[in-house]
Amino acid sequence: MAAIAGQKSLLTWAVNISVVIMVVAWLIPTVGLLVSSFRTTDQISQSGWWDAAFPVEKAFRDRIPGDGETQADGKYVLTGDLLTNGQNAADLKSGTVIKAFGTSGIKPDKYKAGETADLGDGGTLVVNKDGSYTATSATSFEGNGPRVYFVADMPPAFTLSNYKEVLFSDGMGQAFINTLTVTIPATIIPILVAAFAAYALAWMEFPGRGLLIAAVVGLLVVPLQLALVPLLRLHQEVGIGQSFLGIWLAHTGFGLPLAIYLLRNYMVGLPRDIIEGAKVDGATDFQIFMKIVLPLSFPALASFAIFQFLWVWNDLLVAKVFLPANDGSKVMTVKIADDLLGSRGGDWGILAAAAFVSIAVPLLVFFSMQRYLVRGLLAGSVKGG
Amino acid sequence: MSPILQGLITIVLGVGGCVTYFYLSNLVLDKVIFPPKGRDPGRNINRANMVRPWLFLLPAILALGTYLAYPVVGSFWRSLFNRDGSQFIGLGNYEKLAGDDTFRQAVMNNFLWVLFVPALATFFGLMAAQLTDRLKWGNFAKSLIFMPMAISFVGASLIWKFVYANNPTIGLINAVRDYFHLMPVDPLQIPFWNNFFLMVILIWIQTGFAMVILSGALRGIPEETVEAAVLDGANAFQLFFKIKVPQIMSTIVVVWTTITILVLKVFDIVYATTGGNFGTQILPSYMMQYMFRDDGRATAVAFVIMIIVLPVMIWNIIQARKETR
Amino acid sequence: MTKHLMLGIAALALSAGLASAQELKFKPGSEPDRFNWQSYDQFAKDTDLKGQTLTITGPWTGNDKKLFESVLAYFEAATGAKINYSGSESFENDIVIAAKAGTPPNIAVFPQPGLAADMAKQGYLTPMPKGTGAWIKDNYSAGQSWENLSTYMGKDGAKHTYTFPFKADLKSLVWYVPENFKEAGYKVPQTMEELQALTKKIVADGGTPWCIGLGSGAATGWPATDWVEDFMLRTQPPEVYDGWVKNTVKFNDPRVVDAIKDYGWFAKTKGYAQGGEQAVATTDFRDSPKGLFDFPPKCYMHKQASFIPTFFPDGTKVGQDVNFFYFPAYASKDLGKPVLGAGTLFGITKDSPAAEAFVKFLETPIASEIWMAQSGFLTPFKKVNPAAFANDVQRNMNKILLDATTFRFDGSDQMPGEIGTDAFWKGMVAYTTGDETAEQAADAIQKRWDSIEK
Repeated sequence: MAAIAGQKSLLTWAVNISVVIMVVAWLIPTVGLLVSSFRTTDQISQSGWWDAAFPVEKAFRDRIPGDGETQADGKYVLTGDLLTNGQNAADLKSGTVIKAFGTSGIKPDKYKAGETADLGDGGTLVVNKDGSYTATSATSFEGNGPRVYFVADMPPAFTLSNYKEVLFSDGMGQAFINTLTVTIPATIIPILVAAFAAYALAWMEFPGRGLLIAAVVGLLVVPLQLALVPLLRLHQEVGIGQSFLGIWLAHTGFGLPLAIYLLRNYMVGLPRDIIEGAKVDGATDFQIFMKIVLPLSFPALASFAIFQFLWVWNDLLVAKVFLPANDGSKVMTVKIADDLLGSRGGDWGILAAAAFVSIAVPLLVFFSMQRYLVRGLLAGSVKGG
Repeated sequence: MSPILQGLITIVLGVGGCVTYFYLSNLVLDKVIFPPKGRDPGRNINRANMVRPWLFLLPAILALGTYLAYPVVGSFWRSLFNRDGSQFIGLGNYEKLAGDDTFRQAVMNNFLWVLFVPALATFFGLMAAQLTDRLKWGNFAKSLIFMPMAISFVGASLIWKFVYANNPTIGLINAVRDYFHLMPVDPLQIPFWNNFFLMVILIWIQTGFAMVILSGALRGIPEETVEAAVLDGANAFQLFFKIKVPQIMSTIVVVWTTITILVLKVFDIVYATTGGNFGTQILPSYMMQYMFRDDGRATAVAFVIMIIVLPVMIWNIIQARKETR
Repeated sequence: MTKHLMLGIAALALSAGLASAQELKFKPGSEPDRFNWQSYDQFAKDTDLKGQTLTITGPWTGNDKKLFESVLAYFEAATGAKINYSGSESFENDIVIAAKAGTPPNIAVFPQPGLAADMAKQGYLTPMPKGTGAWIKDNYSAGQSWENLSTYMGKDGAKHTYTFPFKADLKSLVWYVPENFKEAGYKVPQTMEELQALTKKIVADGGTPWCIGLGSGAATGWPATDWVEDFMLRTQPPEVYDGWVKNTVKFNDPRVVDAIKDYGWFAKTKGYAQGGEQAVATTDFRDSPKGLFDFPPKCYMHKQASFIPTFFPDGTKVGQDVNFFYFPAYASKDLGKPVLGAGTLFGITKDSPAAEAFVKFLETPIASEIWMAQSGFLTPFKKVNPAAFANDVQRNMNKILLDATTFRFDGSDQMPGEIGTDAFWKGMVAYTTGDETAEQAADAIQKRWDSIEK
């Protein structure tokens, strides 16, 4: 008995550990993006995101300010503080520790902080850890201090500026509303249409059914790009033009094959006796569909709803073609691609933030729908049937 | 009118319209055209039942016909014409494809994709669904594995740049190599294997899809069969592979088919990472590079892709026949 | 009654248009020593387009879009017309879809003459107003080559001037950090021979001379095509370049293969390019110049067009922290100072009085000067006032453009799309990584070209 219990807990452990490994493996890439979305583009190219929480060594170029020269022991002396007086003062926090310095860009860390560098012609330069420096020269600096390079540990820095830029750029609110306006009808309408069609294909007898199913599977693979030009022209001719109505219809058409395919396969699996029983009791197909099949298919409807929602939400191509290009009807993906990234294609910080902004709503939808997925399955009368 | 209001009205009109259509059309059919009364009510019912499937199917057929079938037919016609559509060249575009090395390579690579991506995504999805099933934090784990589904393909390609980049301060793989003092390599430039590195991205995305559908199916398995097996002394593995998997086989097939078809459509990943360089071209991205430039050739590629799906289609029809017999 | 209603609507539309119109960046009449306000006043007097709307689509997004809109604001103020500009990252596809579907804008801004020529041939472009071709020839430096760029075969089989070039980019530039050069004692090379010697010297000194990055997603490889084009201009007379672009000189001609190898000398010789061949092939072109700014410098030179400062680290001052020199010509070859450039071409995709008036507006010096006075605008237009440039850096760049003995437009942009924006890119990547030799890559590109029926 104890052995079985032991085995069981061992199994539980194994399950827990394998799930943890899987989740971590699946999460690592996204974490990289998340961390990067809080960093500036310069930081992203300087150190890996896994090092984001640690100080980064960074080299600076500076010039000792040439004014305020004093004379001591027959030498001309410049003193001051690189952290507050230097050209990089804006980037440096007081308290930054200087590790090394140098006088040429090829070896910016030639001297440890506190060591004395030889400037030639009797000149010397000392830079201390706290940034204070002393430069001496046999002749006057005449307002031109020497070049200095130094290496300092930059404390980890995170910024919300990427998110600010993405969220508060002009028209983002409008774009968000437009996206919802496109997405919600474009999710619900195809499901409804597909559900009826799927029921007919699953539970009704009529000639040509096999052919229709085959056609649906075949249409699954039609590349969207093929359809764009003829459809837009069709929309122009019938007077829909580039409008929200047009994009709803387009998404409905493009989403239908997968919807019908998934729903039909689910509905076929519903218990035969319930449906036939209802038929014997004199229920019409419409009643069976509304009262029995639809509630039973809820999990499948919900999962397809999630996928259709995600796909419409992330769509860029269809939105660009079927919606007019003015600011009033831009959706978020178009807004981000054309107005935000635009000429800043290499700005990874913004890209990362934009990616997270655009996955927030789909994730929210998934989290809320997930509960329904589970409940729908448990509450369903599948087992009872 | 504000777009919110407009959107709301459309939702109500669209959804309401659909429901009204189905309800009214059935009502009209049953009460007006073929009422189950008169001289021969039985015949009328039969007649109504012959028409009804088409009522149910009509909106779908209209939408599919307009938005997919019509462009497909038009495209096939287009694929028989030359670059700017001014001259009929018969199967000339297809002949040109056959003579193109890159096309042959794209077909080979696509074969690899079709072989591995659906298989691995379904496998991992099934594992995730089963393992998280009885876990206290199962739903949380599921959500995390599902997360990549919410990211666009281009976004996903960007994410993986932080893994694959050959600069050790950006790419994770090369950071690890750097730690062991190995020279940086570019995973996307290793011949042959780079295909697999790209496949990983799609598998990573699609596992969530497989998991959601399969976990629904797993929970739909009648408790009795499982309990019976437990009483018979089946261990966890036997329970899973011998009892559960066969029962959800049809769902596995659906997931597999769906992902296979997706593989034949997704061009974004290859497009955004390697642009088809380094021998990673696949058919969808190969098609995209001709799209809008030489529509004749692009549409020809589309039909090659559709021919590749033919076995999947046939197999699905056979399956459908079996189920409904 | 209806007439009144229409007028009312028109007035409403107009006021709405005015309300949303952008503020004018420079007040008309201000700084007369920089701006040619006379041309603006004249244009405003001659043109009245009240109540009309003009739609423009183009490749400019983000900051470039804002700059372009600041120019449009003057057109709106002068004529009373309303302009809707929309920029797109995938302009090349969008304009083709729009034209084929029958929803074109009034004006399209083409970054690639090849695309404009394709569309002209299919009958999607309306020829420019009469006399535009002659105007370009007379008013642009190297005017003939600009006019040739704008002239294509129409659907009717006759040649017309279909586009108007406005805004140029300069490609033959090498960027460097003057401070690094000074510390190492390097001099800005005046000839190609000196540049090659400098490259060798930097390697001998233990440094890496070049940062090269070809990565650009689906467009990976394009930076290499600029190198090859620059070498074509520096090793062969311009007629050979023109023949190459039209494929009368084959892609696998030894003269072209040699130009590819000249690029290879810089990119593929061990130690010449930061990270080696593999890194060159995938490093994003936007990331590659960053090596200039590291201490110690990861590289000393970076060849890229005039737009690249956008991708320098934040706060980098061009002219001070970083500077550029002309990618020099061979002293041993008598080919003058050839310049490779690019630019945008305005084409009328849906004719209207406002569209034609807009082309006339682009011919006024003020249209160029407004953009010049901000940033990122070069022009071969001889009548603009160089004082309008925002800084010396731009003025110097524009001088390279105006001094060019030969100006040639980016060749890959003029080739058919399959070649210039695909096969050429991919061939250069395969050559750079060593998958193919220069000859093999050139053969493959030529084979692809042969498969396009004329």
